[in-house]
Order: sequence, then C-alpha cells, then structure tokens
Amino acid sequence: MSATERPAGAAVAPAGQPAREPDARRRTSGGSAGPGSDRRRSRRGRPLSIRAQRAVAAWLLAAPFFVLFLVFFAGPVLASLALGFTDLRSTDLRHPFAVNFVGFDNYTRLFQDETFRTAMVNTAIFVPVTLALTMALALAVAVALHRGIERFRTLFRVGYYLPYVTSIVGVAVVWRIMYQHDSGVINRVLGFVGIDGPNWLESTTWSLPAIILMTAWRGMGFQMVIMLAGLSAIPSGMYEAAEVDGASQWQRFRYVTVPMLRPTLLLGAVLGTIGLVQWFEEPYVMTRGGPLNSTLSVSMFTLNQFGFGNYSYAAAASYVIFAVMVALTVVQFRLLRSNT
Amino acid sequence: MSTVATRAPAPARPVPPAARGRRRGGDGRGRGGRQWWIYAVLIIGLVITVAPFLWMLLSSFKPDAEVRQVPPTWWPENPTLDNYRDLFQRLNFPRFFANSVIVATAVTVGNMVFCTMLGYALAKLQFPGRRMLFGLVLSMLMIPTVATFVPLFVLVSNFGLANTFGGLILPFLAAPLGVFIMRQYILGLPDELLDAARIDGAGEFRILATVVVPLCGPPLATLGVLTFFAQWNNFLWPLVVAQTEDKYTLPVALALYAIGQNNARFGLLMAGAVVIIIPVLIIFAVLQRYVVQGIAVTGLKD
Amino acid sequence: MTGWKRPAASLLVTALVAFAVAGCGRGDNDETSGGQAPQGISTGPATGTITVWAMGTEGEKLSVLAKDFEAANPGAKVNVTPVPWDDAHNKISTAIAARTTPDVSMIGTTWMGEFAKSGALDQTPAAFDKAAFFPGAWDTTVVDGASYAVPWYVETRLIYYRKDLAEKAGVQPPTNWQELKDFATALKDKGGAKWGINLQPGGTGSWQTYLPFVWQAGGNVMDSSGQWTLDSQQMTQALDYYKSFFTEKLAPGSLQPGQLESMFVDGQIGSFVSGPWHIGILKDSGGAGFEQKFDVAMMPREQAGTSFVGGSDLAVFKDSKNRDSAWKFVQYLSKPEVQVKWYQTVADLPAVQTGWNDPSLSGDPFLSKFGEQLKDAKSPPAVPTWEQVAAVIDGEVEKATVGDTAPADAVKAMQEQAMSIGTGT
Repeated sequence: MSATERPAGAAVAPAGQPAREPDARRRTSGGSAGPGSDRRRSRRGRPLSIRAQRAVAAWLLAAPFFVLFLVFFAGPVLASLALGFTDLRSTDLRHPFAVNFVGFDNYTRLFQDETFRTAMVNTAIFVPVTLALTMALALAVAVALHRGIERFRTLFRVGYYLPYVTSIVGVAVVWRIMYQHDSGVINRVLGFVGIDGPNWLESTTWSLPAIILMTAWRGMGFQMVIMLAGLSAIPSGMYEAAEVDGASQWQRFRYVTVPMLRPTLLLGAVLGTIGLVQWFEEPYVMTRGGPLNSTLSVSMFTLNQFGFGNYSYAAAASYVIFAVMVALTVVQFRLLRSNT
Repeated sequence: MSTVATRAPAPARPVPPAARGRRRGGDGRGRGGRQWWIYAVLIIGLVITVAPFLWMLLSSFKPDAEVRQVPPTWWPENPTLDNYRDLFQRLNFPRFFANSVIVATAVTVGNMVFCTMLGYALAKLQFPGRRMLFGLVLSMLMIPTVATFVPLFVLVSNFGLANTFGGLILPFLAAPLGVFIMRQYILGLPDELLDAARIDGAGEFRILATVVVPLCGPPLATLGVLTFFAQWNNFLWPLVVAQTEDKYTLPVALALYAIGQNNARFGLLMAGAVVIIIPVLIIFAVLQRYVVQGIAVTGLKD
Repeated sequence: MTGWKRPAASLLVTALVAFAVAGCGRGDNDETSGGQAPQGISTGPATGTITVWAMGTEGEKLSVLAKDFEAANPGAKVNVTPVPWDDAHNKISTAIAARTTPDVSMIGTTWMGEFAKSGALDQTPAAFDKAAFFPGAWDTTVVDGASYAVPWYVETRLIYYRKDLAEKAGVQPPTNWQELKDFATALKDKGGAKWGINLQPGGTGSWQTYLPFVWQAGGNVMDSSGQWTLDSQQMTQALDYYKSFFTEKLAPGSLQPGQLESMFVDGQIGSFVSGPWHIGILKDSGGAGFEQKFDVAMMPREQAGTSFVGGSDLAVFKDSKNRDSAWKFVQYLSKPEVQVKWYQTVADLPAVQTGWNDPSLSGDPFLSKFGEQLKDAKSPPAVPTWEQVAAVIDGEVEKATVGDTAPADAVKAMQEQAMSIGTGT
C-alpha cells in the first residue's frame, strides 16, 4: 500500500533531460483521475477545467508564501543585486539613489583583493574538510545509536545534539580556554601521550584546524539527526537477509547501509555545504579571522565589509558566495548520483 | 540548482510510524555480548561532546575572576549563584522570555502553515510556474542574509513595522527549508489517498487539511524544531528591528548585559547561555523521535 | 534550469533599468557643510518625549540621570533604550538608512566620521563650550571642521605595573622609551616576571596600543591636508620600537581573554598598557590587598607623551522631531556635577575637565593619573573609513610582531592599502 515497495532510485532520469516528477504520480494515479474529472466536466460543461481548477488551487496554496517571498525576499534581493553595481557606502544611506553606477567594478576589485582571495582559499579548505569530518563522525554515531544499542537512546541523542543548539558566544569562551597553549585541556591531554601541542589559536598553521574541529563539534548533532533519519528508513529485512547470506558487520555496512543511505548523505551534504559556505560564527567569536587572516572565511570577509560600511562591495561578495554555492550544489548532485 | 529542481522528486518512502515502531521493537538486535563496547565508545564520545557544555554550565557558577583564571578550574572553587541572580534581576526576564516565545512561536506556526501549503502544491499539483517556484525557494537558501539586510530593514520600516512584532516575525514566515522538507515528504504520500478524497468531491484545501496534514506529523515536527531554534537564537534582526527595550528578545537582552565596550562578563554570558538553551533542549527531547522520522523521508534522491 | 532563470533575469534587468533612471549619480549632496553655522537652541525648559539610545551599562543606568532631568523639566519625558555593544554600529547604520533614528544616541568615538558624513547628525550648537572638554575628546566629534556631537565620557591608556616587582627589580616607572624598555627588561630579569610587559601584538584594536607610540615619536596618521601618512619615518620608528618588545621576548604573543589579568595577578606579566576599566577587573581578580601591589604610570615621553583617548560621544540626529529638547538633555549630561554623578553611577570618566575637581576623582591615586594623561591624549582622525584603515593597521602590526615582516615594509603596506581605501570623501 505505501510507497515503500517502489524501488529506490526508480525516478533516475538521464542527465540533462529533466525528469518530470509527476510521471511517477501519473503512473500510480492516472486511472483514478478520470471519474473526478468527468464529474466536474459535466457540471461545468467545460473540458480542461479540472486542470485549470487545480492550477488555481495550487496558486492559492502558494499565494501566502509567494507574497511573503516577493515582499520580504525578492525585493531586498533585487535591491542588493543592483547595489552590487554601485559605489554605495554607509555614508550614502540617507540618499541611496545618489550614487554612481560602477558596472562590474566591485566584482573585478574583489578578485584583485588579496584578503578576499585568502578568504576564498581558506573557505575552499575549510568547507570540504569540515563537511567530511562532520559527516563521518555523525555517521559513526548514528550507526552506533541506531543498531548498536537499545537503552538511553534519548539521552544519547540529546547529548550529541546539544552542541548544535548551544549559544556560540557562551561556548566560545570555553573553547578558547581549552585551546590555551600551556594550560589548555587539549594540550594537556596531548601531553599525556607525549605530544607537545601547538599554540592553537595563535598559530597560522593550527588555527584553521582548531576552528574546523570546533565547527565539526557543533555541526555533528544536526548531521546525526539527518543520518539517524536515513537509517531508520532502511528496511531491517535487508540487514536480516544480508546476515543470512553470511555478510560480516562491515560488509553489511558497506553494501547495505551506505548505498541505501545515499539520498540522506546527499541531503546532509547539500545542507551542510550551504551552512558551511556561509560559515562565519566560529572564526568570528574565536579568532576574528586571525592570526594573519588564517581563519578568515568569505562570509566573514563579507560581514567585515558590511561592518566597514562598504555595502556595495559586501553585496558583490555575497553574490560571489551565492554563485559558488549554486555550483557546489550542482557538483554534489552529479557526484552522488553517478557513482553507484 | 536546476538539478535539485528536476531530480529531487523521487517518491520517498514513508514508513508508516506503526510499522517503524514494530521494526524497532523486533529488530533482532539481541547480540548482547557485542553491545558493551558500543556503549563504551558512545559514552566516551558523549563525554567528549558534552564536556565543553558541562564546563560552560560549571563556569556559570563561578565568579568572573575564576573564569579568567589561568590555569583554569574545572569545579567551581568558589561556587556562586551571583550570575543567575544578576541575570534574573537585571534582565526583565519574563518580558524578554515572553517576546522570544511570541516571536519564535509565531514564526514556527506560520512556517508550518505556509510551507505545508506550498509544499503540497509543489508535490502533488501540476500547475504553471511550479518549477520556477521551486527554483526560487532553493535559491533563497543560498543567498547570504548580509546582502539583503539593509534593504530589508528599510522596507520593513517603510511599512511602519519597525519596533513591532510584525517586523520581527513577517520576514521569516516564508522560509525555504520548510518548503523543501514538506515537499519532499508529501511527494512520498500515496496519490490514491488524495484521489479517493477527490472522488468524494473534496477540494484541494480540504484534501490538504483532512488527508495530508494528519499524515505530516514527522516533517512538521522537524520543521517546527529547526525553525524554533533558528528564531530562538536570532540576534541581529531583533536587535535592529526593536527600537525599545520592551521588544527585545532573550539573546539581544543577554548581549546587552554581558558584553561591554572593552570587556565581557564571562560568568553572566555563560549563565545566559545555559538559561537560553533549556527550553530548546526540552522541546528537542520531546520531539526528537518525530524529528528523525520527518527527515527520514526528506532524503535527496536522484 | 531555465524555468526560473528567465523570470529572474528579466526582473534583474528591470531593476537595473529602474535604478539607472532613478539613480542619477553622485550629486553635490555633501551634508557635512563645514562652513555653515550650527543652529542655536531655544531657551526655556525641555518639553516632549526624547528618545535616547545608549550602549551597554550606560544604557542600563542612564534612566537614573533621566529621572533627575525630568524632575527639572516637568514637561519632558526621556525614553532610554539600552543597546548591546555587539552590532550597535549596524543598528545605528540601518536606522539612518530607514530614518528611524532616535533623538539622541551615544556614538562610539571612532564611528563619528562615518555617521556625520552620512548627514544624519545635527551640528553641535554654539551653546556648547569646546574648551570645557578634554581637547583630544572634543576632536573625536569634529568632522570636516565642524562638530557633530559632544564628548560624554572618556578613557585613556596608561601603563599598569606591579609595584612589588618593580621594587624588587629596583626600577622606577619609566619616563621615556629607553626607560620603558629597561623597565620591562628589569621586571623580567630581576623582578621574576615571565614577561616584562604586555602589548597587544595584533588583532582587533591593537592600533589603540600602537598609535600612542607613533604620536610619542612625533608622527601622525594623517597630515593637515587630510592625506594618509602611514609610511612616515615616525610610523616606522614606532613600529620598530613596538616590535623590539616581541623580538627581545619581553612581551608575550597574543593572549586569550582573561589570561592577561590572571597572569598579571600571578606576577607572570610585569606590566601592560590598558584603560581605566582594568582597575576594577584587577581588584576583582587579585582579591583583597592586591590594589597595594600595582600602580599606573603615565605614558613615556619622546617627542611627546601622548596616549590614546577613547570613550563615547552624544549626538543628536537631524531627523529628530524634538531637536531643541534633545540638545538640552545633552547639555544636562555635560554639566560637571552630572558628569561626576555619572562617574559615581557607572564609573565612566568625565569628559568635562572641571568634573575632575571632584575629590572622588582627583583624590583617587589611580584615577588622578588618568585625569592627568587625558590632557595629552589623541584620537584618530574622524573620517568615515577609519574603522577599515584601523583594521589594516591591526593586520600589518600583527605581521610585524608575530610574523617576520620588517616594520618599514609593514608601514609601506599600511599606506598602500589606506590610500586605496581613501578617506571617504
């Protein structure tokens, strides 16, 4: 009865040719649309009205969101896009139209800006590393929580989720203390195993890894929930069948869990990337992007420019981030789709 | 992005909650001997994960000087409730708490309603402009808010919404993530149910209200929890929109007292962070099972 | 893919066209008309509602003074909104854009250039006597030759040092650069401190510690014609001197928040440069009797003995509907006795010089030295781009102290970036 029986991935469409998703709907429901439309057609006496009616209903359903979207999102977005082609600064705020049109100046200036390039490189390192680390940790925890244990699940879930909802400002104080060179917990633990820990937040080499670790800590709870969700949708029969076939625990993970989890991994990767590209909280509260810009992200760069009152420049940088994000999302879909 | 718009579809697989419960019970996980080390690893992981938070909790009972101390202390040497006393006495706590609850709740409820409506239309109705709408929704996810910040505030205050709850709430009522979650879930609901209702002469609104929504508990829980958290911790927008103190939300009020021009009050900061997180944790603990179910069928597929 | 792109593109084009039509380019709308004389203020008591924004503790406690003001002006009502320091700058900027500014706001001294240039601030009426304020503080309000605010409270930087360690090392508080270097060396070698002095090595706000040395060397960041002079010989000289504390291992690298106080109390750090707020923090961290163990000293004198002056100003907005009463409230807050009361309420130091005659200030061994230093304290130029240039200075100072950039190269880089940022005119 439920859609569970449908083979996963049934709707794979050849690349480039958009799959029309309602195909699936028509396949299953095509027969039953008939009677309804007949009835209405006879009442109204006009063919096709069922489609029109649906369209009207659909737009009515979409209307509240769409109106809010137009007013509170599209308007400001267009304004800020236009802003990116002017030289508006905070000193022009009382006369926002009395500024010069500068074409793509802000964009060309961005790519010549050494600080922006540094921020791009940092972000290019930060996003994939953090995403991989966060998702690997989250997957491990989720698998253990899902199939390994029966008791205290709520406790574990809430515990692992905790960092995600903790206020960054409060927790930053604690992390800075933990990262202290001489007396920080992390270096003391490293000291037990004979490693002389670096001065994490003051080193241009180690500050980014330090921030990555903290970000993974914070983001893991969110990814864990996503993974748990994906795991819970895998029919347990598949594991039982694999067990009967003599598959080892690792083989079950490799050949049942991972393939079945691909949609979930994709969701986690897309949402994670969107979050991480816009990432600025951790470096903002921990290092302000330093030392020597080694933890400056593109979003923090943008925020800084915004703070300096360079609104046009900040807008231009925002749309560069937007373009990168769109590109990354497309790539992720391609990657996770093709390597079955 | 086009890829999302065109390939996300896929009928997801909603496992009826009942079936899931059954499976969980009889999962054949009786491999008792192997479990202890999983517990051990999970507990170690949990300790590492929770330790910074615990330290924050403990530090909220320390005087400021002790928080600053090098080397740091784990247990408070001079435990004190001063930070909490300060927090509740200096902050008009009930007022800020109420504001936070009003704003977060209104935004959450609004998202549940509007995102479900649009999500249903996108998932189950064929209409002109459908793909454009979905593309717009996804692009919303990707535009950094800092870009639109000033234009948005100018707009909001031109509507006369500065320093009103409307100004705090309205801009967040149409959030893309919610539409995304609802659409993915509703896609997986069997069409037969809807068609049966249509045969009975039900309009789309009625179908949504009487057939679809009752089945949407899990994604609504997910959406609700995520939206509520985001609003609960929102700082910059409430700060800018609220022109008088009586419209401040908790994070704004906390920043007011804990962070100075040249120094911060760490103890107060941590006590505030502890207090702010409590309602959120309670909500998550209650709803976490549904949240997981909600995302379970939101997975992106080709 | 094309489903949504086409409409979006057409919307964009529409917007750009609309913009090109509506936006007619930068006109001559410079509102900081320096030549124009400011408007006067009416006589008689204040009336109506006056809305005030103030940050942090000031915002929290200002209602105390507001009550006195209301008692003296029965027709007036003062509504104070406390604003968190975090993002207060963004709040004021967006309010200017949307014209939802209050009547009066507290303004960080380094924001003055930006907000005055936007045309949002009212010129200071002639009724305010410039000479009553500390000159360095008054300068923070002057943009293009005209004043747009009144200093409210001030702070300046002195050298905090451990008296007991200095005695042990047999050194007196320094009076010039050489002595400061010797002082730090002695605190380390003979006094037993791990570090002789702490100077902020870089990062946000380090310019506030570095620039005093530039001023002491006789240099400045801007010449009289308003051109950046960040690569001057004095800038190099000051950075050379600043850097030497790090290369000679007299100063630690960057410290985490809280570490400075804790290490000073432990005697690991012998001295540091900071503002008056540290008196309270040190008394708090050091416990009973610690105030006997430390003291403050004036800045060393080379060409000059200048320090940095910070604090906050009070400005009235042009869009204020109750301008005269707003200025009357500011006038009230600038009275010497009210400034003293303000000090007693929140420990903010008076910007009005005669306020310092009060025994609660002049009689305090620590504070009296701050009062003395305030007579020779400077602020950076009040130009709209200052915060951005300051960030450049912070970055280059860090490259010189933490990294291995030569001071001469660092100041050259400062100048290059500052020139490309401009002065916002």
